[in-house]
Amino acid sequence: MNRSLIMLFGAMALAATIFAGAYFASQRACLMCRDRPQDALNWLQTEYHLSDTEMTRIRALHEGYKPKCEAMCAQIAAKKMELKSALASGTNVTAETKARLAELAALQAQCQAQMLEHFMTVSQAMPPEAGRRYLAEMKSQTLGLHGEIESSMSDAAGHEHHH
Amino acid sequence: MLLAASLRPPLNNMNHEDSRLASLLRSSRPAPGLPPRFQQNVWRRVEAAAAPAGTESWLDALAVLMLKPRLAFAVLTVLMVTGGLLGLHTGNQTLRHVAEVRYLVEVAPNSAH
Repeated sequence: MNRSLIMLFGAMALAATIFAGAYFASQRACLMCRDRPQDALNWLQTEYHLSDTEMTRIRALHEGYKPKCEAMCAQIAAKKMELKSALASGTNVTAETKARLAELAALQAQCQAQMLEHFMTVSQAMPPEAGRRYLAEMKSQTLGLHGEIESSMSDAAGHEHHH
Repeated sequence: MLLAASLRPPLNNMNHEDSRLASLLRSSRPAPGLPPRFQQNVWRRVEAAAAPAGTESWLDALAVLMLKPRLAFAVLTVLMVTGGLLGLHTGNQTLRHVAEVRYLVEVAPNSAH
């Protein structure tokens, strides 16, 4: 009885080791072989099965959008620095701080609007189904994140109220 | 003596009567037929009685089964292949996610602000 039990446990341990070994080895091999630094747009082509013609159009859109996005990012970064220096001067929320916050929020909204416009333009350059999927994914990844944070905050507040 | 011989029934006649009586008795008490699979059941009982009782539990049977080289090799092969395929699938999923994040960082850096 005991001998059989030991044999069973031994066999199970061996099986688990072999399974885990094969799993991690193949995962590692996959990551090492295919994770080369590559063009960020390659993901689009693979994920949405786009043709070279569609990719050429999307690449042009992407190259046109990138400088605008970088300029907006630079403005946001500068506004954040202004806000930081406004906050450093005192312990109260001054009128200047409020103004900087409002300007930052306006810039971020403008940036988001520009980003959404780009997503829509890119989705229109794709086949209809792929475009819908792309747009939904981009919205959930860029806007959904804020929604999740807000809902988690409101849930937490709700729980606190209940307690 | 002559009188005794005349009183005794004839021998032939008596044998005839006995056989008739025997057949009458047999027909009055019919022997029951054997139940279905009587012979198989008998042999099964004989084998069960001959086997040593309680020495081989299901655990032992499983251990014996696992030690069969062909089965052990097959199970290990299946485990290796399944583990490998699952690892490849997970690796691909991770790579897809990394590529998506790389794209998002280029087009939506503001979402990380």
